[in-house]
Amino acid sequence: MSREKDAANYAIAFFAVLSVLLLLFPSSKIAHTARIAASYSLYPSLHYGARYGYFVRNVPTNFLAIFETDQENRALKNKVKELEVKILNASALVSENERLAREMRLSRALPWAGSWARIINKTPADWYGSFFIDKGSEDGIGVNDTVLGMQDERAGLAGRVFEVYPKFSKVLLITNSAASAVCAIAPAGLEALVEGKGTWLLKVNYVPEESALAEGAEITTAPGGLLFPAGVPVGRVAKVYPRESFMNFITADVNPAVNVNTLKEVFVVRRNLPQEVPAAAGAGWSEAAQYNGQAAANGR
Amino acid sequence: MTIILEIFLYLAAGTFYWWWTQNLAFFGLAPNFIFAAALSAAILAGPVKAVAWGFFLGLYADMLGVSMFGGYALTYSLMAYAVYIVKRHFDMDSLFSQLVAALSLSWLCMLFYQGLSLAFFKINPTGIRIFLAEPFLNALAVPVVFQVFHQLKRRTGIL
Repeated sequence: MSREKDAANYAIAFFAVLSVLLLLFPSSKIAHTARIAASYSLYPSLHYGARYGYFVRNVPTNFLAIFETDQENRALKNKVKELEVKILNASALVSENERLAREMRLSRALPWAGSWARIINKTPADWYGSFFIDKGSEDGIGVNDTVLGMQDERAGLAGRVFEVYPKFSKVLLITNSAASAVCAIAPAGLEALVEGKGTWLLKVNYVPEESALAEGAEITTAPGGLLFPAGVPVGRVAKVYPRESFMNFITADVNPAVNVNTLKEVFVVRRNLPQEVPAAAGAGWSEAAQYNGQAAANGR
Repeated sequence: MTIILEIFLYLAAGTFYWWWTQNLAFFGLAPNFIFAAALSAAILAGPVKAVAWGFFLGLYADMLGVSMFGGYALTYSLMAYAVYIVKRHFDMDSLFSQLVAALSLSWLCMLFYQGLSLAFFKINPTGIRIFLAEPFLNALAVPVVFQVFHQLKRRTGIL
C-alpha cells in the first residue's frame, strides 16, 4: 500500500511539475514543443471526428429520409396500382368509345330510326337465346322492335324486343331456337325461313330443291316478313344440305351476320308495330307460323 | 494491446467531447466528457495510471483551448490524485458517490482552474452560467462514462 502511495506521490509530483512548467513558461521552447506535439498528436482525432461526424450527425436526418422515402414509396405503389386500374379502365373506355363512334357513324347511315341500347345482362344458360338491354318503355322501346348488332362496320339482325319493362327490355335473339325470320337469299331474292338453332348457327328452311342455293350467299330479311324491316343482313350460307328423300325442299346452315357473343351495344329500330300483328301471325314470337301459313297457301 | 486500446479510448473520449460541443451543445452548455473520463479513470485505475490519464486528458482539454496550456493538465492530475486519496475511504463505485464526487469536483476543478488562470494570466475564463450549470451536467455524465469505462476494463483489462 505504501509502495502504491509512493508511486502515486511520484506520479502526481511528476505530472504536476510538468504542468506547472508548461504554465510557467508558456512561451519557452519546451512548452511550445509540448504544445505543438500535443496539437499534432490530437488534432487528427478532431479532423477525422469532423470528417465522420458529418455522417454521424446526419444519421437521424438520413434515417428520417429513409423512413419518409419508405412511406412515400408505399404511397406511390398504391398510386401506381390505382393508376394501373385507371389505365385499364381508360383503355376499356377508349375501345368502347371507338366502338361507339363507329357504331354511331353506322347508325347514321341506317335507313331506320331507332336508338342505341347497352346490353346489361346475358344468361349463360340462355346464351344464344336472349339478353337484356338498358332501354325500356320509358325510352320508347316497344315490343317487336327490331334489334340490330354491328359487326365489321355493317349492321346485322340480332333479334327483336320480346318483353318491355319501364327501364329495360328483353331481346329474343335470332339464334334462339324459337326465333325465325322470313328472309331473301341473294342474288335471286328467293324467300325462305331462317330459324335459330340455339347455337351460334342459324338454319335456313323451305328452300325449293330446284333453287341454286350456294355457300356464301347473303341472306337478308325479306319484304314479306311482318316483324323485321326488309333488307337487314341476317347472315351467309355456310353449308347446304342435300334434300331428304321424304322432303321436297333443302336446308342449309347460316353464319349469322352478327356474332351475339361480341355484342356490347345494339341498335333498336322503332317498328311501332301493332300488338296484334305477331298474334295474327300465329305464334306471337316468330315468323314461322306466318311463313308456314303462307307456304301452305302456296301449296308447298 | 491494452495500451493501444487505452490510447484509442483516450482519443475517443476527447473526440466525443469535442463532437458533442460542436453538435449537441444546448445554450452553450454541454457535459464535460473529458472531466467525466478523467474522473472515471481515476475511480477505476490505479494511482499512477489515474494521474497519467488525468494529465493527458487535461492536455487534450488544453489543446482544445487557446490559453493556459497545462492548466487542465494540472487540474485533472490533482483531481485524479484526490480521487485516489478519497476512494480509499469511500466506495466510489456507487452511483451516489459518483454524483457527489462529480458535483463537488466539478466546482473544485473550475475554481482551481480559475485560480490558475487569474494567477498566471489575470483572466477569468469561466462564465457564471457554465460555473453554475456544468457541474450538474457532469454529474449526469460521470455515471454513464464510468459504466462505459468499467465495462471496457472488465472486458479488455484496460485502466
